[in-house]
Amino acid sequence: MIAQPERKIALWHLGVAYTAFLIGTLMGVLQVFIRNDALQLPAWLDYYQILTAHGVLLALIYTTFFIFAFFITGMSKSLGSFGPKVRLFSWIGLWVTLLGTVMATVMIVAGEASVLYTFYAPLKANGFYYVGLALVIVGTWISSFALVGHYMVWRRNNKGQLSPLFAFMTVTTIILWIIACLGVVATVLFQYIPWAFGWTDTINVELSRSLFWYFGHPLVYFWLLPAYIAWYTIVPKLLGVKVFSDSLARLAFVLFILFSIPVGFHHQLTEPGISNFWKFLQVVLTFMVIVPSLMTAFSMFATFEISGRQKGGTGLFGWFKKLPWRDVRFTSIFIAMAFFIPGGAGGIINASFQLNEVVHNTLWIVGHFHITVGTPVAMTFMGLTFWLIPYLTGRRFTKRMQRLGFVQIITWSIGMLLMSTAQHVLGLMGAPRRTAYSGYNDHPSAMEWFDGIISNHVTMAIGGTILFLSAMILMYIVIMTMFVSPKAETPEQMVEFPLAESDMSHTPKWLENWWIWIGIAAALIIIAYAIPLTHMIQHAPPGSKGFITW
Amino acid sequence: MDKKQSDHDVNLKGTLVSVFFVGIVIVAMWVAVYLMYLAR
Repeated sequence: MIAQPERKIALWHLGVAYTAFLIGTLMGVLQVFIRNDALQLPAWLDYYQILTAHGVLLALIYTTFFIFAFFITGMSKSLGSFGPKVRLFSWIGLWVTLLGTVMATVMIVAGEASVLYTFYAPLKANGFYYVGLALVIVGTWISSFALVGHYMVWRRNNKGQLSPLFAFMTVTTIILWIIACLGVVATVLFQYIPWAFGWTDTINVELSRSLFWYFGHPLVYFWLLPAYIAWYTIVPKLLGVKVFSDSLARLAFVLFILFSIPVGFHHQLTEPGISNFWKFLQVVLTFMVIVPSLMTAFSMFATFEISGRQKGGTGLFGWFKKLPWRDVRFTSIFIAMAFFIPGGAGGIINASFQLNEVVHNTLWIVGHFHITVGTPVAMTFMGLTFWLIPYLTGRRFTKRMQRLGFVQIITWSIGMLLMSTAQHVLGLMGAPRRTAYSGYNDHPSAMEWFDGIISNHVTMAIGGTILFLSAMILMYIVIMTMFVSPKAETPEQMVEFPLAESDMSHTPKWLENWWIWIGIAAALIIIAYAIPLTHMIQHAPPGSKGFITW
Repeated sequence: MDKKQSDHDVNLKGTLVSVFFVGIVIVAMWVAVYLMYLAR
């Protein structure tokens, strides 16, 4: 078990993560009922407030706090106990991130920031909303530097050695995060805050969106990579095998540093202020970032097959039956991976330049988001939660909790299938995203969208309700394993941190030479962004004043 | 040498078929939306 101080820091992160999860999922279920006309909000609360809260609290806050809980625990487990400075800065990071979260949430609740989690200009929130978001970023940087410091101490004490796979992957994710945040920090500090506080009258909208998406796409990988860390380092242990290939795993991760950042324009393919050449270049780079995900898919199947065959599975798919389906820690992650197959395929469609026109401002994108971050990432985090909290609290993960865990992941899967399929189909027909329900004055074309069995508000509401029930079951498991379940007294009752062995004997050392990867990433970012961003600044149209539409 | 030998002995035919399955899902979804794009 890791040292008590790190356990405490990680548990605090998990406590904040699941508080955000509770409020965020409640905001989610309210939305589906409002869209179904089954619920009227009180006058002091509007649809866009809850939509913003849902996005911010789940996509930004739940994920971030959970990720750092996982990193802190894993880094302490794989590199040894933190020194006093690392502990201190981990605490400071937590409190600064939490302060920013509270500030942003208060602004949303006060009706001062119904700008959605992407906070697109020219929608203008209260300046303190942006200050809150900036503090969230600063807090994560402090926590990140604490973990990097811990890693550097390990490297100094183990000269010439490759770091353990978990630590390598954590540092990769942190490098990606810090480079990505530069874009959002630039736009928030130099554009949004001066504009929101009235120090400047107008904002360069295209520049603000471009800097946001410079951050926004690698943000997706900041969510996804911790899930991949679990897939690469936790899953093999649950299957009783080693990591399939240490080199492949490390190469996949460094490819994410290279290709996940210079691709933000694929979120802006319908925007007029960027020339087709730069859009196309970034579309090509987006297709490069598919490669490490496909490497991951191959590696996972190989891990499953090797494990299943070792357990006596024969024939082409005999190994499949031999997987540990009764272990909720595995089954949850397996379902998460399965959802990522259509999720990833949808992402390729979104990024395919012209095809983006079919789906861009539609509910398809919302459905896509829910079968990428909402299930592959979130359900991997759920699968980790089942053992991570009892591991940190020293409590038991009882048979009853394990059964409830199965109910939770199955209900989440059913709810998500119903809701996200409805969203995908509705989106293909043309139903818009980012808006409250609109019947377009009962225009027949708009009415037709909602006539299908799947493409129906009722289907979406049933899916959303099942998801909310599933979220509440998870909250029950979280509270029980955090505060109530009996303490583990014997070694068999202790919950382990299932970290797989990884054979590093054939792994080339240059994979851990960060300057190579940071250097190539910087070059690609300059190639993809320098000219179009300069153009946006030099040939900027008149800026926009702020709009408060709520 | 033993290590290399054991690597070659690993039977990953199921993995091959599985990754083809993933490829087919990607291509099928892409083509479906592409046809929709052409039809509009």
